[in-house]
Amino acid sequence: MKRFLPVEELARDERFIRSDLAEGFADPRNGRVRDRTISTARLQPDRAAAPDRARSLMHGIFVGEIQALEAAGRTTFDFDDADAPFALKLDMARQCWDESRHVEISVKLGEHMGTEIGEYTEATFLYEAACVTDPAMRLAGVNRALEGLAIDVFNTMKDFGEASGDPVLQFCEDWMLADEVTHVKMGSDWLRRLTERDPERRERALEFQRAVDKLFSLGGFRGETDESPIQIARRFRELAGFDTKEIDEIAGLAAESIAETRALLGKTG
Amino acid sequence: MVDGRKPRPAFAPWDRRALPGLFDVEESARRVGAYAWLEMRLFEALGGWIATVPELDVKLVLGRHCYHHAWHAEQLQQRLPELREMNPARLTLPANEGIVAFAEALIEPEAAEQTIEKLVGVFRVLLPRTIAAYTYHLNGTSTITDAPTIRTLNFLLQDEFEDWREGEMLLQSLIKTPEQIERASNRAKSLEALIVVAGGIAGAGTLGEEVNESENKSEAVPE
Repeated sequence: MKRFLPVEELARDERFIRSDLAEGFADPRNGRVRDRTISTARLQPDRAAAPDRARSLMHGIFVGEIQALEAAGRTTFDFDDADAPFALKLDMARQCWDESRHVEISVKLGEHMGTEIGEYTEATFLYEAACVTDPAMRLAGVNRALEGLAIDVFNTMKDFGEASGDPVLQFCEDWMLADEVTHVKMGSDWLRRLTERDPERRERALEFQRAVDKLFSLGGFRGETDESPIQIARRFRELAGFDTKEIDEIAGLAAESIAETRALLGKTG
Repeated sequence: MVDGRKPRPAFAPWDRRALPGLFDVEESARRVGAYAWLEMRLFEALGGWIATVPELDVKLVLGRHCYHHAWHAEQLQQRLPELREMNPARLTLPANEGIVAFAEALIEPEAAEQTIEKLVGVFRVLLPRTIAAYTYHLNGTSTITDAPTIRTLNFLLQDEFEDWREGEMLLQSLIKTPEQIERASNRAKSLEALIVVAGGIAGAGTLGEEVNESENKSEAVPE
């Protein structure tokens, strides 16, 4: 088996259909839909579209968890001991087990919510972030940016479970949230240790993390206002080791992205 | 009322543990280091394969087992300083070159169509060997002086038995046609040949056979 498996070679059964996330974000119709200002973009149970949106988001969580599992697995294999010490690989192996459980939980929650594997498409952005060949960058992109996003998503879903009176959803999301906080902490800890004597490498890794964070703030997908369906979970991010400045930076990216989308809409609409 | 001052034997009548054992400190440490090396190669392979198997249930099992074997390696490495090896990495070594060749062959399948080959290597060749070697070690070593190794191996064996059973059930659900039966047998045969040459996961004498000094060196795989 070779090291560094490209995204095109991810193995899936026939239920999975891939889509390009960038194409979705670039579709100007999405901007126009968002700009109608008919109401908040948040997931709210009293909205007619809420069940469909929640099912779609749950499917997104499911495929994201598969890729997180694959990414952690590849980190146990892609690097030799000099680049990734055994203790780091042990943490990644532990993450594999956690992500396996998250896939299992997501499949069962999807059924509980009335969807099934393959009803929605799969974008492979998470695994793509795991294709970088520097383990420090990989940890920054996957464990800090994307697992950080998972904290926001799970907290949003947990709140939706609570608001819609679904204790099963609320219970499961809370458990997964606990794991994600651990994964982000692992990422922060290893990023610090791997780049202890190389500040330039750390800066490159953090730059990569910012790029991934920006991607997921595109169009205001994640933010702190009513315009964002996914809300930044400040309390849980703090538990995971993000400081206020870092969280403010992510919130700033979201506001910037909404402004950019509006400008784009002005040009295309 | 029980008189706590009345002398009692140190060993209760039912406690049949004995001092003699097959291994001295060095041999127990060498074996533990060899097990740790192979558990590491195994968890890395399982982790790497997750992205390469299309079967969702297999993917999830590999993710779970990956951690089991990483944890085994950690437990074994933690025992090494207690066996006078203060730098565990120094003794985390393959038993011989034959076991290196076996590990390389085990890890080699990559294509999405090779799930059977991947699983046969782990569940029909390697895990039966680790179960046998760990069992021999805990049955043979001194039950008093090497008790911490026995305790560790017992924890590992619990996982190994359960993981082997789960893997074997996956294989039985995947092998359905004469062509698949042949693929599974061929794969087991080729890996079995390599591990026989290596003498087992701890090298020659893994299960207590007579050992010549030269046997833990590299040898050619027989035709």
